[in-house]
Amino acid sequence: MAVSDKDIIVCEGVKKWFGDFQALKGVTTTVKEGEVVVIIGPSGSGKSTFIRCINRLEQHQEGVIVVDGVEMTNDVRNIEKIRSEVGMVFQQFNLFPHLTVLDNITLAPLWVRKRTKTDAQERGMQLLNRVGIPEQAEKYPGQLSGGQQQRVAIARALAMEPRIMLFDEPTSALDPEMIKEVLDAMKELARSGMTMIVVTHEMGFAREVADRVLFFDYGTIVEEGTPEHFFTNPQHDRTKLFLSQIL
Amino acid sequence: MSDDTFVVHTEEAELPPEPPPHGPMVWARTNLFSSVTNTILSVVFGGITLLFFWNMVGFIIGEDRRWDAVTANMRLLMVQAYPQEQSVRIWLSLAIILVLAMATLAVWGAGTRLSRYAVGTTLMTAGAFLSFLSLIATLHLVLDSRTAVWGLGGLVVGLVLAGVGYQMRQGEESKVPQIPSLMVTAVALAVPIAAFWVIQVPTPILGGGQELAPVALSTKLPLTILYLIAVVSYLVADRTIGEQERFRGPLVALWVLSFPVIVMVILRDPIIPYDLVTSTYLPIGAAFAIVGAVVMWFVADPTKKEAGLGVGALIFVLFLLSWAISVVMVVRILLLMGALFALSAPTFAGEQRARLRYAGVWFVSVVLVTYFVVLVVAESSIRSESGSFLGGLMLTFPLAIAGMALSFPLGVLLALGRTSTMPIFRLLSTAYIEVVRGVPLITWLLVAFVLLPFFLPPGVGIQGVVRAIFAVAFFSAAYLAENIRGGLQSIGKGQYEAAKALGMTTVQMTVFITLPQALRAVIPALVGQVIALFKDTSLVTIVGLFDFLHIARAVIPNQSQPFNFIGVLREPLLFAALVYWIITFSMSRASLRLERKLGLGER
Amino acid sequence: MLKWVAQLAFLAFLIAVVVIVGRVVASNLSNRGINFGWQWLSDPPGFSIREGIDTTPDSGARALLVGIVNMLRVTVAGIIFATIIGTVIGIARLSNNWIVNKIGTAYIETIRNIPLLVQIFFWQALMLSLKTFGEEDVGSYFTHSSVKGIALPGIFPSDGFWQWMVFVVIGLVAARYVFRWRSRLMEETGNESYALTSAIGTVLVFAALGWFLHPLFGWMSAIWGALEGLARGIPAPLYSWAIALAIVAGAAWWIRGFFEARKTPAGYGKFTDDDIFRVAFAALSGLVIAGFVIWLSSRVVQVPSGGSLEGDVTIAELIRLGAGNFWNFFENKFHGSAGSPFAFELPSIELRGAGFAQYGSESIVITVPFFAVFVGVTVYTAAFIAEVVRAGILAVPRGQTEAASAIGLKRSQYLRLIILPQAFRIILPPMGNQYLNLAKNTSLGTAVAYAEVVAVGFTLSNQTGQSLPIVLTWMVFYLTVSLSISAVVNYYNRKLALVER
Repeated sequence: MAVSDKDIIVCEGVKKWFGDFQALKGVTTTVKEGEVVVIIGPSGSGKSTFIRCINRLEQHQEGVIVVDGVEMTNDVRNIEKIRSEVGMVFQQFNLFPHLTVLDNITLAPLWVRKRTKTDAQERGMQLLNRVGIPEQAEKYPGQLSGGQQQRVAIARALAMEPRIMLFDEPTSALDPEMIKEVLDAMKELARSGMTMIVVTHEMGFAREVADRVLFFDYGTIVEEGTPEHFFTNPQHDRTKLFLSQIL
Repeated sequence: MSDDTFVVHTEEAELPPEPPPHGPMVWARTNLFSSVTNTILSVVFGGITLLFFWNMVGFIIGEDRRWDAVTANMRLLMVQAYPQEQSVRIWLSLAIILVLAMATLAVWGAGTRLSRYAVGTTLMTAGAFLSFLSLIATLHLVLDSRTAVWGLGGLVVGLVLAGVGYQMRQGEESKVPQIPSLMVTAVALAVPIAAFWVIQVPTPILGGGQELAPVALSTKLPLTILYLIAVVSYLVADRTIGEQERFRGPLVALWVLSFPVIVMVILRDPIIPYDLVTSTYLPIGAAFAIVGAVVMWFVADPTKKEAGLGVGALIFVLFLLSWAISVVMVVRILLLMGALFALSAPTFAGEQRARLRYAGVWFVSVVLVTYFVVLVVAESSIRSESGSFLGGLMLTFPLAIAGMALSFPLGVLLALGRTSTMPIFRLLSTAYIEVVRGVPLITWLLVAFVLLPFFLPPGVGIQGVVRAIFAVAFFSAAYLAENIRGGLQSIGKGQYEAAKALGMTTVQMTVFITLPQALRAVIPALVGQVIALFKDTSLVTIVGLFDFLHIARAVIPNQSQPFNFIGVLREPLLFAALVYWIITFSMSRASLRLERKLGLGER
Repeated sequence: MLKWVAQLAFLAFLIAVVVIVGRVVASNLSNRGINFGWQWLSDPPGFSIREGIDTTPDSGARALLVGIVNMLRVTVAGIIFATIIGTVIGIARLSNNWIVNKIGTAYIETIRNIPLLVQIFFWQALMLSLKTFGEEDVGSYFTHSSVKGIALPGIFPSDGFWQWMVFVVIGLVAARYVFRWRSRLMEETGNESYALTSAIGTVLVFAALGWFLHPLFGWMSAIWGALEGLARGIPAPLYSWAIALAIVAGAAWWIRGFFEARKTPAGYGKFTDDDIFRVAFAALSGLVIAGFVIWLSSRVVQVPSGGSLEGDVTIAELIRLGAGNFWNFFENKFHGSAGSPFAFELPSIELRGAGFAQYGSESIVITVPFFAVFVGVTVYTAAFIAEVVRAGILAVPRGQTEAASAIGLKRSQYLRLIILPQAFRIILPPMGNQYLNLAKNTSLGTAVAYAEVVAVGFTLSNQTGQSLPIVLTWMVFYLTVSLSISAVVNYYNRKLALVER
């Protein structure tokens, strides 16, 4: 694993409210290029909100987020630039049900990257090979299993050749027997040197793949460290409590 | 980051949540000026809105507006030609409905608690809107060099309201729900009642012109009394029978009875022909009630299995035969009722208590039906030029209620028929539904008014109001059926399997399991249909009934005595639109609340 | 078994009721000396119609046709405008701009809670409050509004219109190919190729060419003439047999589809009573209707003199006449030297008859009844369409927007590629319902004397006393309209259905 010294994501005192509810209470952290960061924490702790702020699916109200040297503001051009460099995989897959699997994957390369159709399709088939389901290319998402859909979603995000991948609880909506196939695809991606931020409850994955683990609670980072330290020697009481409940 | 570091952020984790960025500037920035496009939109549409309100207010308070055409004809609009000296009957009917409504609110524990913040927000919005309109009105009045006292008055009231609202929103505890919503409603309704004693309305002067005059005492006094009755009866009901489930059944029964009693007894004031009653109706009714009760008690026995079907078929044959001989109509009605009761006996069969209850229901139904037939046969003592004692808004409401009451059972039957596994029933129901829905209501009304005479035996005539009710009911039933069908199809297969596993018959399964669930699931659609039906009643004006709309658009603009309102069209129509709007809008809001309370539409 | 007994018993009861009522009707009619029939269709109606393709129709059928055209006119215009306004309002309701959002909400909550009839009356009252005009206003105007209506500058199809239309049709066909070619080009190169713009441009080029070259197509008149000759040459009974055959073929097609749908690799499953009933019913009704068509078309009716047919003719001959007239229409339109495709006319006020000021006969006038009905149904239906559109867009899960923007699509792109295609599926069925409601609601035009099919029928029924046949005509007409709209909606619905497991 090649973690460079270059900071690719810098967050400084990020705050976010939903109405009166404060979801993020000032998050400060940096992610280096090639690093795999796993975020864990109880539900409602703000971890999903945080990674959604990184590609501006949610707007933070205070603080600074800089992705690859571009600051997140209301400027539409900045947002579009960042979104084409940050891939995202959702808990509910969010595949486009009216398009075939291959069209799902080639959509963004065609319309955003202005690739030719043959080119985009060739690359789409490569990606489907990489996630292990080339035979499903002409089917519709509704005809696939959950695990297959999530792998298509990963391929769709990769089709834009992003430099960063965000995973928002990618295995939470899956049946147990399908979790492994998705995690395998993610592990393969991590080994290839992709910068990844993963929100997950899969502790095995965190232990095996993560360079760093962030523990979120009450809208802020309570504790962060390497997986070994984190799982063997947690410091904060909340971390201990959480780990004792989940492990 | 080196491998050994780990960080514990103790301070941040313990921070209490901060309040979000607030204030009018933040609000305006996020809601009006968040981007260039939004700013342009805000300016353009803000301008258009201002222009609209400027013209609207200018139109309403325009010098040549004839609002006196509305105020002078308020009685016509509401009750048409109902004799003035009998108007206490109308007030009594309204009082009964109000008392029942208040008891219902109390028994069902309606109403929630609102926070001071929410009430304050509403007050602030309403006050701001009122002062906005009053400001425009004042400007208009000043520009026309007229006295602007009412405009300024509205401005002050609006500003005071907004100020009170603003004060209510202050403080941390203002967000705790603590004010009963019914109290808010009561206070809100007290405002128009109180306004009746204060404001002056345009009133025509004999010989031309109009002036501002106080509201007539014969309007504001009964309304105030009604308001007080409502408040008192709610308080009493809340203390005595509040939220007790055992009062729900009787209350529903009272509601069902109230409509025929109000229309046929109180408003119509029948002259009961006592000699005819003692000679004919009393003996017939008594005989049917007693003999029938024994029969019903007999067939509602589970050990008799399907005996009810045989008895029912027998009575039905008697019913058919009764048309061959000359006999009082009530006999035929009771025979048909007996057939239906006997046919459904196996469904409601049970132990001794169930059998007694079934016989009891039969007994009471016979008494009520006979009584109702007597009421219909009796002449009315109310004399009115249009030939009907109902008119104006007092025709629109009975039309809608009776239409709904009739269309509901028919709609249920049609929905069951359309989802049935029996092809002939399904074909007939489908054909009925599609044909009725495919053709506009006005055509069916014309059929009822132009074609019906050909279908009736000589000498039989049906009043216009009754024809309209049937046309509206048969039309609405087709739409209701489609709504209910949606509910029936939404019920899971498991429900059917569970019912079958309990050994229920198909009919029992439908009556006790599927239908109640289906109806509950489609309550929003049903209320929507009620609203549509209410709006559709306005169509009877085309066939010449004197409903609310007909008076607003055809009667008032043709008046020349005692005041000249010839050609005054827009004012009465706008008033009619406002009344219809208030009624339907409150219905749809009430339905939304009911929906939320029942937890419908949530997944 | 019991089920069938109950059903058949009910059916018998129903038939008995129909028979009894039928006898009551018959005796009522004979008592009052009324004879229901269809003679009124060919008799002169005895009244003139205020607006429409023919204000002095020569037969009842023609009068009804005028009513039907008027009804369709207001329906089509209403559907187009209600869709546009409704969509805009529906989207406004989703706007995050406070003012725009509130305007949308206020519009919907006001309009849909007031009965349509009240609104139609109000628009009528609004027009009636405009000024009138008299002798002193005679002259030409660009637009003019008064208590008699709104007069607008008109564009009329003129002599060369139909020849010019040939060019437009060719242009449309060509545009289709251009569109495909440009689309393919974009897929191959990845560059924007402006497919839609080029297609529209193609049509415009052909239209412009046709403006000058359209007399070239005068020779097509000969083709239409030949077709007319053919249509008139075929024996009349052949027409009725062809229609009957089409009906039987339709029934057979439905049955075939029914079996097709039941077919599994393991053969046909067990057929229930119900399935057999459906097939039998389809087959039987197909044959019965076909037989009825043949019977009906051999019936003899009286035709008033003056046309090409006179006296007693069969309905089949009338059908043949109609087919011939259809081609004849085109033959005449293509005949002779063609002038410009369009004529323009400014509205004018002129004196007619005994010094009555009127809008000139060449002016396009939106009459008060048309205005009231059109604005009424449009504004009313738009409120419901807005709710349909809003609900449809909201029904597309939020995740779709998020996923689309997360892969870098712009707002305009994801609306067009992701949200609208999905929302459209959800919107379509309720939208069809609203169109249906609009079509039926135009019947309220009766109340403001708009000469649509119910109003014309009602006048006819008052003139001739033939209420029963006229009511039947209404029903057949409205059912046809309803069924056509729902057929179109169902077709698209099936075509667009999502593929699921």
